[in-house]
Amino acid sequence: MTQQNRLQSGGRIDRSKSLTFTYNGKQYKGFQGDTLASAMLANGVNVVSRSFKYSRPRGIVAAGAEEPNAILQLGATEATQVPNVRATQQELFNGLVSQSTNGWPNVDTDVMSVLGKVGGKMMPPGFYYKTFMFPESLWNTYESLIRKAAGMGRSPLENDPDFYDHINQHCDVLIVGAGPAGLAAALTAARSGARVILADEQSEFGGSLLSTTEKLDGKPASEWVSAVTEELRSYDDVMLLPRSTVNGYHDHNFVTIHERCTDHLSDIAPVNQARQRLHKVRAKWVVLATGAHERPLVYSNNDVPGCMVSGAVSTYINRYGVVPGNELVVTTTNDYGYQSALDWHDAGRKVVAVVDTRANPAGERVDAARQRGINVITGSAVIDVQGSKRVSGVSVAPISADGNKVSGSVTKLSTDTVATSGGWSPVIHLSSHTGSRPIWNDEIVGFVPGPTVQKQLTAGGINGSYNTNSVLSEGLEAGLKAVAEVGLNAAEVILPIAEDVKEGAAMTLFHIPHVKPTSQAPKQFVDYQTDVTAAGIELACREGFESIEHVKRYTAMGFGTDQGKLGNINGMAVAAKALNKTIPQTGTTIFRPNYTPITFGAIAGRNCGALFDPKRYSAMQMWHVERGAKFEDVGQWKRPWYFPQAGENMQQSLDRECLAVRDSVGILDASTLGKIDIQGKDAREFLGRIYSNAWAKLAVGKCRYGLMCGEDGMVFDDGVSACLGDNHFLMTTTTGGAARVLEWLELYHQTEWPELEVYFNTVTDHWSTLTISGPNSRKLLAELTDYDLSNDNFSFMDWKQIKVAGVPARVFRISFTGELTFEINVQANYGTHVWEKLFEAGAKYNLTPYGTETMHILRAEKGFIIAGQDTDGSVHPFDLGMGWCVSNKKPFSYVGKRGMNRQDCVRDNRKQMVGLKTKDPKMVIPEGAQAVLDPNEPIPMKMVGHVTSSYWSANLGHSIAMGFIKGGLDKMGETVYYPLVDGTVIEAEICSPIFLDPKGERQNV
Amino acid sequence: MSDLNVMTAAEMAATKAAVMDQVPGPEIQGQSPLHHADLDSLAKVGPKQGGVHLREHKLLGHLTLRLNPENDDQLAAAERVLGVALPLQPLTSVENGSYSVRWMSPDEWLILVPGLEAFDVESKFRDEMGGHYSLVNSSGGSTVLELSGPDVVELLKRCTPIDLHPKLFPVGKVVSTVFAKSSAIIRRTGEQRFELVIRRSFSDYIWLWLQETSREFGLVVKV
Repeated sequence: MTQQNRLQSGGRIDRSKSLTFTYNGKQYKGFQGDTLASAMLANGVNVVSRSFKYSRPRGIVAAGAEEPNAILQLGATEATQVPNVRATQQELFNGLVSQSTNGWPNVDTDVMSVLGKVGGKMMPPGFYYKTFMFPESLWNTYESLIRKAAGMGRSPLENDPDFYDHINQHCDVLIVGAGPAGLAAALTAARSGARVILADEQSEFGGSLLSTTEKLDGKPASEWVSAVTEELRSYDDVMLLPRSTVNGYHDHNFVTIHERCTDHLSDIAPVNQARQRLHKVRAKWVVLATGAHERPLVYSNNDVPGCMVSGAVSTYINRYGVVPGNELVVTTTNDYGYQSALDWHDAGRKVVAVVDTRANPAGERVDAARQRGINVITGSAVIDVQGSKRVSGVSVAPISADGNKVSGSVTKLSTDTVATSGGWSPVIHLSSHTGSRPIWNDEIVGFVPGPTVQKQLTAGGINGSYNTNSVLSEGLEAGLKAVAEVGLNAAEVILPIAEDVKEGAAMTLFHIPHVKPTSQAPKQFVDYQTDVTAAGIELACREGFESIEHVKRYTAMGFGTDQGKLGNINGMAVAAKALNKTIPQTGTTIFRPNYTPITFGAIAGRNCGALFDPKRYSAMQMWHVERGAKFEDVGQWKRPWYFPQAGENMQQSLDRECLAVRDSVGILDASTLGKIDIQGKDAREFLGRIYSNAWAKLAVGKCRYGLMCGEDGMVFDDGVSACLGDNHFLMTTTTGGAARVLEWLELYHQTEWPELEVYFNTVTDHWSTLTISGPNSRKLLAELTDYDLSNDNFSFMDWKQIKVAGVPARVFRISFTGELTFEINVQANYGTHVWEKLFEAGAKYNLTPYGTETMHILRAEKGFIIAGQDTDGSVHPFDLGMGWCVSNKKPFSYVGKRGMNRQDCVRDNRKQMVGLKTKDPKMVIPEGAQAVLDPNEPIPMKMVGHVTSSYWSANLGHSIAMGFIKGGLDKMGETVYYPLVDGTVIEAEICSPIFLDPKGERQNV
Repeated sequence: MSDLNVMTAAEMAATKAAVMDQVPGPEIQGQSPLHHADLDSLAKVGPKQGGVHLREHKLLGHLTLRLNPENDDQLAAAERVLGVALPLQPLTSVENGSYSVRWMSPDEWLILVPGLEAFDVESKFRDEMGGHYSLVNSSGGSTVLELSGPDVVELLKRCTPIDLHPKLFPVGKVVSTVFAKSSAIIRRTGEQRFELVIRRSFSDYIWLWLQETSREFGLVVKV
């Protein structure tokens, strides 16, 4: 393929480095320095997509982030597929593979185009709402067909082979945009010693100066750009970020930047290089030097490939050495629009005409065009375009001075390219992200940033300043202001001087009239990406949508991945005219992050796969893994759930583990329980206030179970605390509640009782807790210690400091299974040692490791609650039948006392915790099942409670359950029914939740 | 309520009773939180060149001291035990030989000592110091990683939002902060050297994280 539109010389491309790329299966050539878009234009590719709604062929319109049509799918393999890439921003590399996304089956022959050709009436705005929402049952069918036909790109079906990075940055001044304003600001800040970050979305710095023919100090502008860039590179505290789009401007000058590190190199990033990086910047000051986007005019068939914005035409010629056509017609409201005609002419191709809406344009560029012999048609506009997959000609007509109607006869001109300029729209997106409402400026015919609450400065095009000398000096001023604000002395910077070009006044015009009324004229596109037309906006206004936000939602204007960068102002202008208001009266919609689409890879960074969320492990984790444990997530902890042996299913494992504990001895890794060391003279008093039960008389060497309630009196955590010394306690919490309980203690200490002398420290990770439980646990422990473990010397609820397997330990004789139990706590670096010694000694007792599920069953056999499973924030101790764990004799109150004595908490018929014994002993009631008194009652049935814990008990040979029943404590022996979703009903008898050893003899031996 | 900083002999004794030498004799080797990563072998067989160097300082004594910084008697007692005054300037640290002390909050310090000395130091505090304070041995709950090398700052910028510019984070500065999705106590011990105190249960996550985020620089494990 030849690059028929490539110039022999000029531009910033390297003609010695030829690159091959693929578009829709066809190979093309381009050069180093090309974007995918410039290379496509060089090769004469006209159609890059099919439009969203009408399936019209679309071509490249712009040359930067604002491009609405050339949104391509990239990727040479399934794993490297990337949707939503703007060809105008993607640098070309050798072997690049691209695909158009809109258009099914392809962009050149398209079944959907029938819809478009049959007539616009078929899909007016609100089409989806009006047509496809009814009948509702068919919406899914409609939606999938429309989506498929419209095409939105697709995500890869295989894992991304690349890795993505997140990095934190800090600076005095972040400068967004490295055009003339940004460079001037950066140079000033850097020379003055500030910490500077300069970010620009392009591959090289310079912004508009890269595609201008303008000279600075009489030399090509690029020379100044190079000199400044080199100087900036020499400062240690300056970070230069090309290929980095500042995508989000958040509160407190927190800014997110999306850097494409290797997207310009290859399909897959080079080994050990991050493909993209998300910079999270905390900037003291932010300078927005984001420039402006040129605004196209709205005329009939302005979307036919070959219609481009004028500045983009100049960029392709001057920066990339590509003239995107053979003949050019320019339609403009201002002097700047002439630039593309001058550049086109100077590139040696034919300018058919410049059509100017102004009756008497006067300015240096107008003169320059006339001097070159270019046909300038004044007081007129291109009102319509001929052609389908490429422009073949235009209709030109005189228009009235106010631009509202065609005032003369239509002439046809033959051309393949139309350049349009309706003026410029400042790129205010980032300023809008911060909540700042843009302000309309009549003089520049555009919105500029409004008042800001951020430490934000603006310079250049974003302010509506387009003259290079003003742009440079605004950059300098912003740099000086930022430097002063961060307390530095400003260094001297002398700016280069650009030739001043005299410009005539521009005409304020957005929507070009047609000989037919808008509603009947050929489509005049406002938003290319979402196929919104001027007629559609007028229709929305006629249908009563008066707020611009409503018009936006009804028509989908600005909803594309380009967020309406080209079309929003034109849309507001059309709506304003239809509503007979001014643009500022109509208002603007607000831009939100991100400025351009960002990949999920960059959002995720390294937080994926094994690093998605931290996994917390106890010291014995490797042992559990080697023994084939199945794990359960408890918060971020991985806890052994059960330890299956070969050939066992889960229930068989649980039965074996449960029987082993009751018959001999089992071992549980309880290290994950929260542990809080509490020291200070008032530790005991503090516990008495935070727990519902009494702590005043707990002796040194003793342990006690405690219930913790919220202010509302509802149980939120529980655990055993031990008195280590008169001023020293060790509190245990549930695994999931550890952090919350520590915060709770600190909250009450710091805000309510700061006078209490007490300090809290977490020691959760410090201790390994090895719980041996079962009738043989004493014998087992005796094998590893000389200490007298007899019941007389070491009683239930005692703790002792002894050595176990040679390791100093605190051993607690407490029990969550109801069996004789020793909880062995050793410094975690020695946990595995003691654990392994227990197994060496435990073989003859059939020492059996058990996990959380067996623990749950064993405690349920004893009727012990699990905070968070049997409680849900709506039950107080008395509801749980745990009134024994509430002391109302304490001299000081305790958290929850008043709450649990509220009228609602002391009324009759509250849901109360009971045991449930199924009539059929083999039936296990599903947890969550709702209880009813009459299983034959028609729906809605009266529900009287629910099941919170339910298991098969191998020890008892029947199922057991705990649950709530209204007034349950007075209903012992009564029958309740649990109707299930499959229509069956389980019948159960209300009983005590203590199914085994109600006198507690087994744990007290 | 009892008076501030006045403790009866019985109270002192009771407090002391809870102090315990938690380390067995040298015949039983402890396992650091990263025991399973076998860093010793990685140091032998792994790459010798790279922008980031990692070394674990394992099985140290970690003591958390809480006291009232306006109590001169307690400050003096701490200095007698440690041979160096507690740092009172926020986010600073001091060292005395093999002892190092990190300011953690206005009434909290983290003291690292050689692993076998933890009980001695703890006992000395109990002997020297009166009044209301707490001293907690948390040696089993954390480990220390030393990160160094030419790319160490680049690496840490990927892990924590703290500003590591030498002007704002000079040698000796210490912060307790976010580290990836966990936390770490970070201290700068050299221009290109940092010390991380990380929690045992999160140590595997942080080890995986450091391996992943150092891919661009190369990670050298050292003994």
